[in-house]
Amino acid sequence: MLIDEAVRFLSQIPPFQFLEKGLLRELAHNLTKEFYPKGTVILQQDGPVGEHLQIIQKGVVKISLRPKGGGEDVVIDFRERGETFGLVSLMGGHQRTTILAVQDTICYLLPKARFNELVASDPAITEYLLQFHLTKYADWTSREIQGKNLFLESSDHLLFTAQVGEICQRFTTVVEADTTIRQTARRMVEQRQSAALVVGANGEPIGILTDSDLRTKVVAQGQSIDGPVTRVMSHPVASVDEAVPCFEVILQMLQREIYHMAVTREGAIRGVVTNHDFLVLQGRSPLAFSEDIEHQTTLEGLAPVSRKALSIIGVLLREGARAGNIIRIISELNDRVVRKVLELAERELGPPPVPYCWLALGSEGRKEQTFRTDQDNALVYADISETQRPRVTEYFRRFAVFMRNGLVQCGFEACPANYMASNPDWCQPISTWKRYFSTWISEPSPEAVLRSLIFFDFRPLYGDESLAWDLRDHFGRLIPDYPVFLGFLANMLVKNRPPIGFFGAVAGERSGEHKDGLNLKIKGVAPLVDIARLFALERGIRHTSTLDRLEALRGGTSLISELVDELEHAFEFLTLLRVHHQAQQLEAGQAIDNFIRLDTLSSLEGQSLKNAFRLILKIQDQVLDRYKAFII
Amino acid sequence: MGLLDWSRDRLGLGPSGPEVPIQDLRFTVLDTELTGLDERRDDIVSIGALQMQGGRIEIGKTFQELVRPQAVLDGRTVLIHGITPSQLEAMPPIAEVLDAFLAYVSGTVLVGHCLSIDLAFLNRDARRLKRPPLGQPAVDTLALFGWLRHRSVEHPAFAQELSAPSLFGLATAFEITVEEAHTAIGDAYVTAQLFQRFLPLLAQAGVRDLSGLCRVGSPANPTANLQGPGGQTHF
Repeated sequence: MLIDEAVRFLSQIPPFQFLEKGLLRELAHNLTKEFYPKGTVILQQDGPVGEHLQIIQKGVVKISLRPKGGGEDVVIDFRERGETFGLVSLMGGHQRTTILAVQDTICYLLPKARFNELVASDPAITEYLLQFHLTKYADWTSREIQGKNLFLESSDHLLFTAQVGEICQRFTTVVEADTTIRQTARRMVEQRQSAALVVGANGEPIGILTDSDLRTKVVAQGQSIDGPVTRVMSHPVASVDEAVPCFEVILQMLQREIYHMAVTREGAIRGVVTNHDFLVLQGRSPLAFSEDIEHQTTLEGLAPVSRKALSIIGVLLREGARAGNIIRIISELNDRVVRKVLELAERELGPPPVPYCWLALGSEGRKEQTFRTDQDNALVYADISETQRPRVTEYFRRFAVFMRNGLVQCGFEACPANYMASNPDWCQPISTWKRYFSTWISEPSPEAVLRSLIFFDFRPLYGDESLAWDLRDHFGRLIPDYPVFLGFLANMLVKNRPPIGFFGAVAGERSGEHKDGLNLKIKGVAPLVDIARLFALERGIRHTSTLDRLEALRGGTSLISELVDELEHAFEFLTLLRVHHQAQQLEAGQAIDNFIRLDTLSSLEGQSLKNAFRLILKIQDQVLDRYKAFII
Repeated sequence: MGLLDWSRDRLGLGPSGPEVPIQDLRFTVLDTELTGLDERRDDIVSIGALQMQGGRIEIGKTFQELVRPQAVLDGRTVLIHGITPSQLEAMPPIAEVLDAFLAYVSGTVLVGHCLSIDLAFLNRDARRLKRPPLGQPAVDTLALFGWLRHRSVEHPAFAQELSAPSLFGLATAFEITVEEAHTAIGDAYVTAQLFQRFLPLLAQAGVRDLSGLCRVGSPANPTANLQGPGGQTHF
């Protein structure tokens, strides 16, 4: 019966619910069940490392972190029934957080060895962990927070000073009790609300329906969505006055085991607050940063804001953002800084004499920057007459130099290979740019292809975008006529084999400064970027970001259409590993690079790395086959 | 079993020395179902047990056996146990089950609710079958409850009026869900969870090793602790 109970429980919660019953039973045999009375410190920061993945059957635990420089503990998360903790210590060698039972808590404990086997043997578990745990729980999130202590202090403070009325979401979706779940959900979507208030015949509040109710009660339990909303709403409605401080509301929610409360003003319901609102409050949202950037009017004001934006990564990691979203948000913030500098440049030098478009190249063009790398940009302007030439070239020369220096001031290093608009080669009218692309495509040489790749990922960032699209259409039309160009891309792609041995072991560098290290960018991320680029160009897809390119290839007839999920997955994983690595270096005050030491990877990470490499190999073999005529 | 444990076992020392901390002890939490309470006439009809390493209940290592009793089943117990005589015909005899059980509990500290009754029947059968008796240290959860109640341990369950608490009364007080009540394994599981709740409270009250545990949880007279602060057990 102990087994039955454990199996029943596990089959309700992810990722275990994805396992087949037989495996689940076998897994249950390995479990132990532990009781932690309220107030127990289950794991202590810097103390012994946990030996289990702990699955909460009952109760709530608090995860907190004592900042390195001293000061109050920072609460990172609360976990409750069905959620897990301890994965962090299983994967890393160090206990980075303190885990405290806030209530009497009962956990099932899965031993480390069995957990590792499970991760190795079961794709469903691995997938779940990669998509959810790695991003949400990875041990370096705590390092990140420690590194960004200053930045967090102000926002944590908010919990104690802000009143719940200031952060609650106003209800605009109000439905009657006989409304169906489907109708309610639709109205929530239309009105962009994450919660709806359900009222009785006399308009009195009888329940609340939140996004999470929809997820947990409707989707997970397979409720019919044509049933009445009363079946899945949360009730009765617990309420709290809008003037109550946030931290008191959190305590009440914890004590009463509820996850949202109605917020009232003079007794009348005004809005709803959920535990998620508090989590968001604890970190500063990227939105606030972009507003900060917008408000700057001088380079001197912009520079510090821009440099600070790096710290947003810590918040994103902590809030469990996926790698794909992290790099998009970073790019979005970087874009705003660049646009702001462009505005300042126009103000400084006067309006441009002819329309122009500022192009982001390479990883910036693909929206795949992790930490600020160097500048990669170019400028295209409208064609001009001979008489205009001296004045226009001089304007854009000064403009591009202003940009380069301004961006350096904002924390973007100058490009050592000089792929910048301040290089006269890359600051040209559109007819010259078209000629460049024609040459790259129609007369490719391996070196030229390699050098020009960065331009094929360009993206208009500011100015007259039609110039950029004109250029893109130009080379889009050329590519089908010159298959040898794609052949060169394919050739380059298959040459960069992942370092994976005959028996599947990942090999590091054999010698040199980074002996036993693995260059994640060159060996991991680059092949995936190259795969997406090759097939996107082959199919005339205009997107530049790798994930967008892959998405656009999904379900089509290209070689990799069926592998989109796996590729996206591998890309997310490798990117995350890279962000992780760089975040650590940044925190340690080291120069940022892309070399990870293989011996520091956990078995889960190692396994995922292997899977990513096998996928790359598989596609390389297919590319080899398809483009064999062009492979040198 | 390691050599050390084996020798301790042979010497009647139990699984380990008296100062072994509780978290290093292995426990077997057991319950038996009987045809009645008369040692001369009644028999064991089932044994259910599970093991704990310190405070951790091991989900996959349960012991669950029905036994074919020699005594005639009376109607009342059949109702409680939900086992009919025809079902019992198919069960193994006590000799077989007892041997397996003795191997199972070897090297562990025994835990049960009103354990002396279970031990009396188990040891009677061991004697009849010329098997060694269960000589290892044993702890009674009812005795533990009584002892804890007088240590002014702060837990709402101790404030409740439970003069002669039943296992299920205690389960309710400690918010333990009861399933499959009155089966040996079901009751053993409830007992184990109760014991699990008690361990941190005992630690708070200074009971942290085997000798302490045996002193306050002796199955000899489990209700003695319940009688009040003037009772005989002091720590």
